[in-house]
Amino acid sequence: MTSITGHPAGGEGIGYSFSQPTAAPVKQHGFYPYTDNGGSTLGITGSDFAILAGDTRSTSGYNINSRMVPKVFKIGGDDETGEGAQIVLSVVGFAADGNALKERLDAVVKMYKYQHGKPMSVSACAQRLSTILYGKRFFPYYVHAILAGLDEEGKGALYSYDPVGSYEREQCRAAGAAASLIMPFLDNQVNFKNQYIPGSGEGHALEAKKAEPLPQTHVEQLVRDAFTSAVERHIEVGDNLQMMIITREGIKEVFHPLKKD
Amino acid sequence: MPGFDFSNYNRNAALHARGVPLPKATSTGTTIVGCIYDNGVVIAADTRATSGPIVADKNCEKLHYIAPKIWCAGAGTAADTEFTTALISSNVELHSLSTGRDPRVITCMTMLKQHLFRYQGHIGAYLVVAGVDPTGIGLYTVHAHGSTDKLPYVTMGSGSLAAMSVFESMWQPDLDKDGAVKLCAEAIKAGIFNDLGSGSNVDVCIIEKDKPTQLLRNYEKPNERGQKERNYRFPRGTTAWLNQKVISKEDMKKYVTIETLSGDSNLAEKMDVDS
Amino acid sequence: MDKLVAQYSRPQHQNESYSEQEQQDLTESLPPLSLKFSLPPVDNRASFLRAMTDDHSNPSCPIKLAHGTTTLAFRFQGGIIVCTDSRATAGNWIASQTVKKVIPVSRLSRGEDKPSNDPTPGLLGTMAGGAADCQYWLRYLSQQCTLHEIRHKRRITVAAASKILANLTYAYKGYGLSMGTMLCGVTPQEGPALYYIDSDGTRLPGNLFCVGSGQTFAYGVLDSNYRYDLSVEEALALGRRAILAAMHRDAYSGGFINLYHVKEEGWVHHGFDDMNPIFWKTKLEQGEFSNVTSEL
Repeated sequence: MTSITGHPAGGEGIGYSFSQPTAAPVKQHGFYPYTDNGGSTLGITGSDFAILAGDTRSTSGYNINSRMVPKVFKIGGDDETGEGAQIVLSVVGFAADGNALKERLDAVVKMYKYQHGKPMSVSACAQRLSTILYGKRFFPYYVHAILAGLDEEGKGALYSYDPVGSYEREQCRAAGAAASLIMPFLDNQVNFKNQYIPGSGEGHALEAKKAEPLPQTHVEQLVRDAFTSAVERHIEVGDNLQMMIITREGIKEVFHPLKKD
Repeated sequence: MPGFDFSNYNRNAALHARGVPLPKATSTGTTIVGCIYDNGVVIAADTRATSGPIVADKNCEKLHYIAPKIWCAGAGTAADTEFTTALISSNVELHSLSTGRDPRVITCMTMLKQHLFRYQGHIGAYLVVAGVDPTGIGLYTVHAHGSTDKLPYVTMGSGSLAAMSVFESMWQPDLDKDGAVKLCAEAIKAGIFNDLGSGSNVDVCIIEKDKPTQLLRNYEKPNERGQKERNYRFPRGTTAWLNQKVISKEDMKKYVTIETLSGDSNLAEKMDVDS
Repeated sequence: MDKLVAQYSRPQHQNESYSEQEQQDLTESLPPLSLKFSLPPVDNRASFLRAMTDDHSNPSCPIKLAHGTTTLAFRFQGGIIVCTDSRATAGNWIASQTVKKVIPVSRLSRGEDKPSNDPTPGLLGTMAGGAADCQYWLRYLSQQCTLHEIRHKRRITVAAASKILANLTYAYKGYGLSMGTMLCGVTPQEGPALYYIDSDGTRLPGNLFCVGSGQTFAYGVLDSNYRYDLSVEEALALGRRAILAAMHRDAYSGGFINLYHVKEEGWVHHGFDDMNPIFWKTKLEQGEFSNVTSEL
């Protein structure tokens, strides 16, 4: 007997008005190539700098794999130290995919420099990263990437990506396990969402606070506060905070301790 | 009708079969330990309660009272440990009243395992029962399905492996009270730092022969909250509003009676509030 | 026989390292936009992808992709109006409130998204469904359109451009692409033209389309107020109002209203405006949305 609803026609036992699961559950995939390694990243830009930060904890389940696995990488640097790099990439999600993605983008940016005799611009690198991610559209990199640098005018540039390469330039972005904890804080403190100018009017005339680029020390404080708060409430975030500060002078990398529980 | 209410069971099973997720119960990750010494027994616990990967409570209490000299550390579903220990505590009190004797740890453990076995593991309580009674010192673990163990040192919860590694490398048969407390705290800290399900502070309970039981709440605080670098106080008038309605104390008095309490404000436990 | 089979078949993971060609591709610094995609080593690739990325059929899938939402376009006497919201969602998470869902197609160098009163020549595409799918394939389409322009010394027609896209989505049918896009443009050959193309391979010419999870709300407003002889001002207001209705009622739409007008000389951007003040303006000045009150 055919049935357009997909229910077994007739049937005995208790009469539910909807289909009951059959004895054998739907066959699951044996192929599961992803692990979530937890952690969180965030990036904020200013008028002449960009900051990318991430915690250094790597987890699987309730275990800590390592307390010192950096998630933020210099892209296109000369050697192991990353000297001469002008672009920074952060990846969070599945660490193996993240590492493969970093290696691949690094190779591409280096080849560009050798072939064209000039460093790749951030906007070009951003577009290229999108194509790399989309190249694995049917077998995605399980990562949320954020790319940062300085644009042609010397302003801070930040691009955020979904796992298959849709991207957008933004002022600030949080990704990873604690993104849902950090992003609302950033919306409020960087773009001044839900903040109005006191006394500027009554009811609908009340004026919204306009977002403007923040000074560097201010942003550094916001980043540290965002992470100390995320550590309090998310179990997969902790150990150390890695910050890359990109200015015209180059990239400064700093580490701060975070809670280790 | 006493006991559990199963009236939503069929509905929830049917909803779950259609893909509606079951509501999340707080906390499965925990580290709890217990250790006997020459004159008594020590139990200890961490103070983190989680809901998935989110910390639901940073300083919860996992050491439960059963009788003056019998205490219990609970791991598993927070509500189940809370209510199971309260139920058994009540029954132990009645039992000791009717027999006219001090309650025994083994009685308490038996009542727990029989209760838990009846519910076939659906009550997710994993317990460490410890105490001192006329027969001596008792220390047991009780699993949700009803099985029990009697050992000189025990650990349970998601941090049990980390904690047990401390016991297995540092435990000695001739511990004194101080040594036992320190060892238990050390085991809990191993759980706090190496198990993501455990965290924050160490609570300790010391039950000793011929001495009152000591509950050392927040015996160690190795994870103090740091100072924020910026001030997040908004100037008055930052939040937009469309309309307002003032309800005065006078209006409220129509619906409720208001009593202003006097007395020592330090007596009540302070809530953690951001300054 | 077994020997023969062994000779001609090789184990799946024999080539662990990159092949010569792959290494070449890796170091190729020009984005190749080639149609070579890496595929998972499983038999049923579509169901693997669905298990990993489709949050509709599997809400707890590990990879949540950003999805686009309400978009509309309609033809009228003054050209074509294109209007979209700006929200991207991944499951229940609002991934972004500032997505540009109108993508200029062809003339890459001139596709800058700056508000200006000078019309910019070229076509416009809209984005609904998977954000990455739309961004990537509309960029691919841009490349093809620009190449067409160079080869034939004239701009591509909307009909031809839409067919390139439709052929493509049809070729990838069943692979799990998700896109619902509208292509708009005015060309000397066809005048104002509007096409709807989706990931099933559908390609439809038409006067009026709404695409995305909020499409029904937008259709409701559009169908009751649309006329072909709308003035430009009226048409812009109608497009904005229809998107506003969808943003108000559809949880997966919201953010900013992105409005474009396509005319003979090219397209003109008419703002990327926060929906909130527009909503209250519409309510208080036009008296609409009277079910929303701030009464206590």
